[in-house]
Amino acid sequence: MLFISNFVLEILNLFVMKRALLVFVIATLVLVSTGLWLSMSSGFLNSFDVVTLGIVLCLVGFAVYIGYRRFQGARRGEPAEDELSKQLLRRTSSLSYYISLYLWVAILFIKDRVSLDVEELLGMGILGMAVVFAVCWIILNIRGIRNE
Amino acid sequence: MNNRIREHRARLRLTQDELARKVNVRRETIVFLEQNRYNPSLRLAYDLAKVFGMAIEELFIFEEDRE
Repeated sequence: MLFISNFVLEILNLFVMKRALLVFVIATLVLVSTGLWLSMSSGFLNSFDVVTLGIVLCLVGFAVYIGYRRFQGARRGEPAEDELSKQLLRRTSSLSYYISLYLWVAILFIKDRVSLDVEELLGMGILGMAVVFAVCWIILNIRGIRNE
Repeated sequence: MNNRIREHRARLRLTQDELARKVNVRRETIVFLEQNRYNPSLRLAYDLAKVFGMAIEELFIFEEDRE
């Protein structure tokens, strides 16, 4: 009986760890695809590429930090998520979605005024959404969510 | 809403980690609660009050809206 309960606990622990490791897997995939993009480019990076690369590296750093926190929590035996983390995620998602709508309106506005390809504008929008999400998460983590 | 979680946690000589385990939340949630940066659900408030052996209204201090 004890063996079975230990086995179930091990499986549950693996599941929690897996959720933490998922962030590292995604961060690695982003880094690999960025590496591929760099290797396929002509070798010379313009200022737009450098800014994009900087943002991608910042976002990967942010994801690794989140993954590390989750991993440490899982090792201490904490639940993968609780009511605070769920509320933080929900508030961050709704706030960043709301702000992202304005971001896309701004991108549509500047579309005809800058000499960027559609792919670059789309990439800018997607990266912008990720940045907005990260900034919202940081702000809500600092400010807290008192008045719910 | 203010609370006296830190005070009662110190009384029971519990660490934030230990209290978090007792009420099945992450340590971060206890940190947020102690800094008054988060209002807990009724369930969590009840669990915390139960750990400290007191009523919810003794642990959480509701303030009148001053608008």
